[in-house]
Order: sequence, then structure tokens, then C-alpha cells
Amino acid sequence: MKSTSPQLVIENKQPNFTWVDGLVLLTLFGMLWSVMHFGQGMLVAFDPASVPELDFSTSQIPYYAGRTLLRMWIAFCFSLFFAISLGYLAAKNNAARAVILPALDVLQSVPVLGFLSATVAGFMALFPGSLLGIECAAIFAIFTGQVWNMAFGFYHSMVTIPNDMQEAASTYGLTRWQRFRTVELPASAHSLIWNSMMSFGGGWFFVAQSEAISVMNKDIKLPGLGSYMASAIEKGDNHAALLAVAAMLFLILMSDQLIWRPMLVWADKFKIELTESGLTPTSWVYNLLRGTYVFTWLGLNAWQPLADALGQTIRRIKPAAKRVRPGAINWPLRMAGLVLTAWLGYEAIIGVFAAIAALHGALTVPVVGHIFWLGFLTLLRVLAMTVLATIIWTPIGVWIGFHPKAARFAQPLAQIGASFPVNMTFPVVVGLFVATNTSMNWGSILLIAMGTQWYILFNVIAGAMAIPNEMKEVARIYGLRKWQLWRTLILPAIFPFWVTGACTAAGGAWNASIVAEYATWGDTTLKADGLGAFIAEVTKSGDTALIIVSIAVMSLFVVAMNKLVWRRLYGFAERRFRLD
Amino acid sequence: MPIAELRAVNKSFITAGGHELKVLEQIDLAVHEGELLALLGQSGSGKSTILRCLTGLIEPTSGRVLHKGETLHGINEDASVVFQTFALYPWLTVEQNVAVGLMAHQVSRAERDTAVDRAIELIGLGNYHAAYPRELSGGMRQRVGIARALVSQPRLLCLDEAFSALDVLTAENLRQELISLWRSPDTGLSSIFMVTHSISEAVEMATRIVVLFPRPGRLGLVLENSLPYPRDEKSPEFQRLVSLIHECITTTTLPDIPAEAPIAGQPISRARNRMESIPLVPVGQILGLLSILHDSPELSNIYDISDEIGKEFGETIALVKAAEILGLVETPKQEVLFTELGKRFVAADRETRHAIFAEQVFKLRLFHIIIALLEEYEEVDSARVIKDIGSALPYDNPEKTFQTMIAWGRYAGLMDFNAKTGMVFLPKNEDAAEDAS
Repeated sequence: MKSTSPQLVIENKQPNFTWVDGLVLLTLFGMLWSVMHFGQGMLVAFDPASVPELDFSTSQIPYYAGRTLLRMWIAFCFSLFFAISLGYLAAKNNAARAVILPALDVLQSVPVLGFLSATVAGFMALFPGSLLGIECAAIFAIFTGQVWNMAFGFYHSMVTIPNDMQEAASTYGLTRWQRFRTVELPASAHSLIWNSMMSFGGGWFFVAQSEAISVMNKDIKLPGLGSYMASAIEKGDNHAALLAVAAMLFLILMSDQLIWRPMLVWADKFKIELTESGLTPTSWVYNLLRGTYVFTWLGLNAWQPLADALGQTIRRIKPAAKRVRPGAINWPLRMAGLVLTAWLGYEAIIGVFAAIAALHGALTVPVVGHIFWLGFLTLLRVLAMTVLATIIWTPIGVWIGFHPKAARFAQPLAQIGASFPVNMTFPVVVGLFVATNTSMNWGSILLIAMGTQWYILFNVIAGAMAIPNEMKEVARIYGLRKWQLWRTLILPAIFPFWVTGACTAAGGAWNASIVAEYATWGDTTLKADGLGAFIAEVTKSGDTALIIVSIAVMSLFVVAMNKLVWRRLYGFAERRFRLD
Repeated sequence: MPIAELRAVNKSFITAGGHELKVLEQIDLAVHEGELLALLGQSGSGKSTILRCLTGLIEPTSGRVLHKGETLHGINEDASVVFQTFALYPWLTVEQNVAVGLMAHQVSRAERDTAVDRAIELIGLGNYHAAYPRELSGGMRQRVGIARALVSQPRLLCLDEAFSALDVLTAENLRQELISLWRSPDTGLSSIFMVTHSISEAVEMATRIVVLFPRPGRLGLVLENSLPYPRDEKSPEFQRLVSLIHECITTTTLPDIPAEAPIAGQPISRARNRMESIPLVPVGQILGLLSILHDSPELSNIYDISDEIGKEFGETIALVKAAEILGLVETPKQEVLFTELGKRFVAADRETRHAIFAEQVFKLRLFHIIIALLEEYEEVDSARVIKDIGSALPYDNPEKTFQTMIAWGRYAGLMDFNAKTGMVFLPKNEDAAEDAS
């Protein structure tokens, strides 16, 4: 039986070794060397009693950049692993889901600095006399800035895999591993990579916070761009600060261009819809690398045998497994889950009791009341930022969204804006505030917006781009003008996107307030009345009870805002303004 | 011994609104060696559920699923499924997609490649090895789906509406190819179990046809079909089988005995006390059917009507049934004729139509669930109404029935519904009814 349709000849072109392959190989070896080189610096001896000064010479900047980058990647690898594990568990197991989803919700709202203060002592005890303990704490802090969002994303794409794709996997008797490898991971790849890119971008924001740690009233500065910047800020050194900013921008740009853009373009083939979509991202690096010999060879001779071997091993451990239907119960796994949950619950209770013991007697009602008042002030700032950014960026975002050429440039730029650490703007901003006599109570709104407004911008762009052409044409035919057009078409259409953007921005704003409400430059310190500034101060002075309470209060505000405002707006947007 | 068998299988689902809905009742069905069994039913009759029980994709609520005479645990390893939506993995090439069918088998890479090549050749995809599904047409995609199902040389091939997402010509071509694959001795394929809503498709392909009646799904007519292949759709034997099935469906769905007339000397049966469910069809289509009947007076045979309006027979039946329970048509045998009221209805102006429709809807007992509540309260919560519908009609999906009732009730001007608040209420004045239509 032969097909009668036109013959489609697909040339099976054997890729040849070219100069690109040489470049790729060089890069791979370079990366390997860098990891070893920069990694060595993590293992040096360290004594908290005598903290060495950071070498402040300009020539050290490339080395510091390398250390920072390595930290980011280590944290990211852990995030990826945990996000996939947590998301997978939550999607597959009802009991696990009942624990994981609410836990993620709460953990997501705890400011990154909170994790840092809570864990640094533990990590130092784990590796006594080595810098590795502090490195771990810093990496853990970056990890906590990335992982929750990625886990949610992975969970969401797992549960939205079309049912028939899962059923096909069941009828063909795929093992759990095969199902994960052929169906679930590819189906989630696009969203996982997109989320990774966003989280990694957010990670830059925290890397600056996490490299300069205060423990036991001592400032510890890990070698890295963030602490170099911190030193420059302390000294008020314009030249050094400028160099650090340039280096940071360079790192962010390079990561975007060399890693994330190509990954995103590659992930386009994992989109589930079978039709070709409109605007696809492009990447010059991807075009260069596509079909190179090295990657083809690695895929064929390294990845596939590895994955097959892993599959074989799993099959050997659990031989002749019955074909499982989706949702079937696995008893050993369930028992393991129960034990794990019990242990986690036990730890959590112990932790809560320890916290209560630490707080006992150390706090008075007025102090807690004051902290809540400060939280309220910061809440006002977060809301002000959201409103201002919405007013400013909505028209601009819509304009960009209606002009695809502009969108192609603006979206990556907004992403870079979102990754740029706030404290790197202090050299300019603090001077400006002092010169213009701006009160930090107002000025900090601007600083908070610096890192968070972009989420609103690029979601509005995405929303404007998603408006179907027919709807715009209808509006033109009936001659809708200005405000009419906005009210009947544009605002409802972008509303769901705006909610996503504003929710992310507001969540980030709480985190940012810790940096943005407490700005220093040389001897000048500008401080706003707010919970962020309060947390920054108490972590500096190392008052455990106040740290715990202030961070708990901030988490409470974030959770409450999510539940009372954003969740409802999501529901409303979903019901009323979905475009299909 | 049957390859796969259901014994006294019942299946219930929980609907989106949390209501338990029984979809299958006492199903006894066996797929024997060497047969091509077609399960015929309207959409929503539970035929895909039967396929999923038979292959082990879902577990029945009660009853047994057998595989070669033994209780089936997990997935039936002799069976593979071709899906209506193809269910291909867009990130895998044609070759890789087909290879998925062999993943559960312990084969060397060389063996696997040979088997994949063979399946791809068999189904006529020879030049498409390295293509991705999104580059292929619908028909080609379904070929990949079939190749994937055949690559492991299953004894039983299950087709879940495998042709209904394809255009007419492509579907016909694929059907013929599948029949010849099944008849050729070297595929190892013994039986095919297909689920379809198309009567002619079933008669064209199957050696045995089982008709499934909906709400709850239960087996009706079983027909042996021994026509020789290739079958000619124009042949009188083919036509006879088609009309036999038509007749069976018509007499079950549109019985000639009027529902209300008591039979002398017999107690009123319990069945008559039950509320009658309504076909889930939009008002506009009922009106469309009536106006076609009005415009072509010579059109009265239900099969001719089905051809004329270009709908599946099952959908046509549902429309006619809707018009019948509204008292606008009557259906002696396989004829569809206007009642006196129906004649008045089509000739009337818009306002009179609304009035007649309202009067007829008012006679339907099901609507009194809402009407009685609206006499008492100004507004009624839809959740409560849906719950009441659920207990009155245990085999219908209460959410869908509710939506249809609201649509009919709006046209009749008897009720209106606010989706924002989820409240059913009485329309304020006659204008509301006008707007709703």
C-alpha cells in the first residue's frame, strides 16, 4: 500500500564538523574549566572570627563575575530538579498535592532574605571552617527566589497535558520513566524553559542581596559581583560601582543571548498545539548551532544511551511491571510519601515551637503592632507602585503590542529590566534624592518600581498581541474611537494578562522593598518608614526575635493579598474576559 | 474465547457539578477472534467509555473486564487504540511516534527499527519518516496513529471514532485500507473493535454491529453483517441493513405509542410517572427543522430529512424528538408530520410563536421544577435547580439539561438566567422574551 499524495522527500543530511563545532567544543571545555576554577574558590578555609576583607581591585571583577555566575547556575540546577520533582509529585499524587500546593503558596510569600537569615547558621554548622557553608546559604537563597514559581509552572503544565496523550501512553504500556521522558517532560518543556528564564532573571535580583550576608553582627562578603557592588556602595566609589553595573549588565545580556533565547526557540517544537503559531521568537545563536555535529553526536551517543540505560535500570528494579493506567495507586510510593510528610510535619512543628520559644518574652504587643503598622505602610507603597506602573505602562504596552516589530525588541528589554538589581541604581538614585530633597517615604516607591514594573509592561504587551485581528477590524469598521475602543476592546482583552503581571509585580515588590526602602551610598543612608526597611535593619543587627516576627508579618501580608485580591481577580478575569 | 469481554459492567461518573451520572448499565459485550465489531451510538451514549473499559484505560464501577477469560488488571496488552484526536506527540517525528508503540517491548534497537519501518511502509507513510506531525495533513496524521497502533502487532485494534475528525474522502480511503489490513493474513491483527456514530461506516466495515442506546448506555440491537467485502453502499443489501438500524433507533427513540394515552385495563405504568428528559438541542435548530419541513411538504421520511439537513442520524432524531415532545410534529412509523398546532406555529408571526412555544413548554413536567420554584421565589439559585434535575433524571447530565432548559425557557419567555449571579428569574416583561430570542 503506497500513499498517493505528493512525495515529500526529506534529505537525511549528515552534519559535518564545521568551525561552529570547534567553537562549541571550545566553549564546552571552557565551561568545564570555569566551573572547576571558580568552584575551587568555594572550598577555601573560613573563620567567622576573622573575616577577610574583599579584594577591591578592578582586575578582580571578571573573577567575581565568574563566581556570581557559578552560584546562579548551581542554584538554578537545584531549582530545576526540585521544581520538577515537586511538580511531578503534586500532579501524580492526591495526598502530595494537598500538602505541596498550599506549602508552595506560603513559601513563595516568604522574602528571600528570610530564608537567608534562617539558614545561614545551619549551613555554617554543616561545613565548619569552610567557606562552603556560606556559599551554600547564598546559593540556597537564590534557589528560594527561583524554585517556587518553577514548581508551580511545571505542575500546571503537567495537569494540562491533553488526556488523549496520556491515554495513548497508557495503551502502549509506557513505564513511568518512559512516560515522563516521551510525554510529560516534552509537553512541559516550553513552559518550563519560559519559567526558568523568568526565574533566572529574577535570580540576579537576589544574587546581590545574598552575597553580602550579616551573621552574628559580622558582615560577610562572598567574593562576587553583588558584594563588590555592596562594597562600592559602602565606600561611595563611583568608578567601581559603574564597573560593577556594567559587568552585571554584561552577564545578564550574555545569559539571555547565549542560553535562554536559543533554548526558547528550541522549545518552540514542544508546544502542544499542532498548528503553526504566529509570532515565534528568533535567536541568532540558535540558528548558528542548529544541526551542529557536536550536539547531534552528543544526543545520539550520550543522551539517548544514558536515558535508555536509566530506563533499563528502572525496568530491572521493577521487572515485568503491569501496564499502569493513569492515576493508578502505587502503594510503596504512597507509604514513602506518608513517612516523608510525617517527618516534614514533625520538623515544621519543632521549628514553630523553637520560634515561639525564641519569641517568648522578647516581644511586646506594641512592638508587634508597630511591625504591622510598618507592613501597612509598605502595602500602600506596593499598591501605589502597581497603580502607577499600570497607568504609565498600559498605553505604552498596548502600543508596543500592536506593533509586532517593536514588540520583538521591547520584550527582551523589559525582561532585562526586571533582572537588574535595585541596589545597583543607588549610586545615581541616592544622590538624586539627596539633591532634590526627596523624602525616602515617596522615593522608595520609585525604587520598588525599578525592578517590578516590567512584569506589568510585558504582560500588557503579550495581552495586546493576543487580541485577534478580527476583533480589531470590527472595532475599525464600527468606527470605535479612543476611549470607546479602549473600553470595549482593549481593556477587557488585556485584563487577564494585566492581572498576571500585576500579581507578579506586587509579589516581587514586597521582596524588593527590603532593598528599596533602605538605600545607602557611602555615608548617606536613606530610610523609609516601612516593613522592608525594618527587616533590612534587624537582619543587620541580628535580632533573631524581630527577624522572625517581621518576616512572618511580611509573609502574612503577601498571602493575605494573594488570597483576597489576586486570586479573586484571576477568577473574575477567567470568567469574564477569556478570549475564546 | 473472546479477546476482550465486559460482563455486567456499570460505570458512573461525577459531573463537573458534583452530580453522579450513570453512563453504562449492565453492559455485556465480547470481542471475538477474527471479527470486526462496530459499536454504534450517538454522542454521549457512553460508547467511548465502553472502549476505555475494554482496553483497561478506566475501571468500571462494577462488573468484570476479561482478557482471554481472565480478569484484566491494568491495560490489555493485546489491544492498542487509535484515537479520534490522533494523540500524536508533536515533538517526535513520525518514526519516533511510531516507535512509542514498541516502548513497552524488550526489543533491540535493530529489531525496533525494522518493525517501525515495516509499520510505516504498511500504512503508506514511506517518505515521511523524519517529518513532524504538524507538517502533515489530518489524514496523514491519523495514518501515523494507525502505524503506531500496529507496530507492536496487536491482536486487537480499537478505533475510537478514528475517522470522524477527517474529511469525507480521506476517511473513506483510510477505512478501505484498514479493512484490507485486517483481512490480510500477515499483520497478525485478529480483531478490530470500532466505536462510531456513523451508521453507514458501521455497515461498511463491521462483521457485527451493536447499537448502544443512551441515558444510561445499554445495548440494543445486535446485527450480524455477512456482506462480502468490498461492500457497495448502493447495493440493496447494504441499504437494507442501514434502514434496519434506522428503524431500530427510530422506534426506540420515537415510539408510536403516545406517551399519555392510558391503555385500557392496564395499570398506569411506573415509567409514565417518570419525568421525560428533553433532547439537548438548541431552539434555533428546532425552528430550522420546522421551517424546512414547511418549505418542502413532500419531505416526510425521517431518513430523507436527515440527508436533507446534512446531520448525523442521531442528531436528526434528537431534533425530531424535541419537536415531538413540544407537540409540533407527530411521528407515525418513520414519518414526520406536522400536528395541527405545528401548522399553526409555522404560519404564525413571531409573538404567536413565542406564545405557542411557551404553552407547550409549560406542559413539560421537567420545566415545572423551575416554574414551581419561580412561583414561590423571585430568584432561584441554579445549583438548586440542577440538583433537582439530577434527582428527577438520574441518567441525564443535569448541567447540560439545565442549559437547554434555560435556552428553551428564554425563547418561551418563561424564565431568564443571569450567568454572573447564577440565578434563574422571571423575565420582567414581554420585551425580555423578545430580546432573548
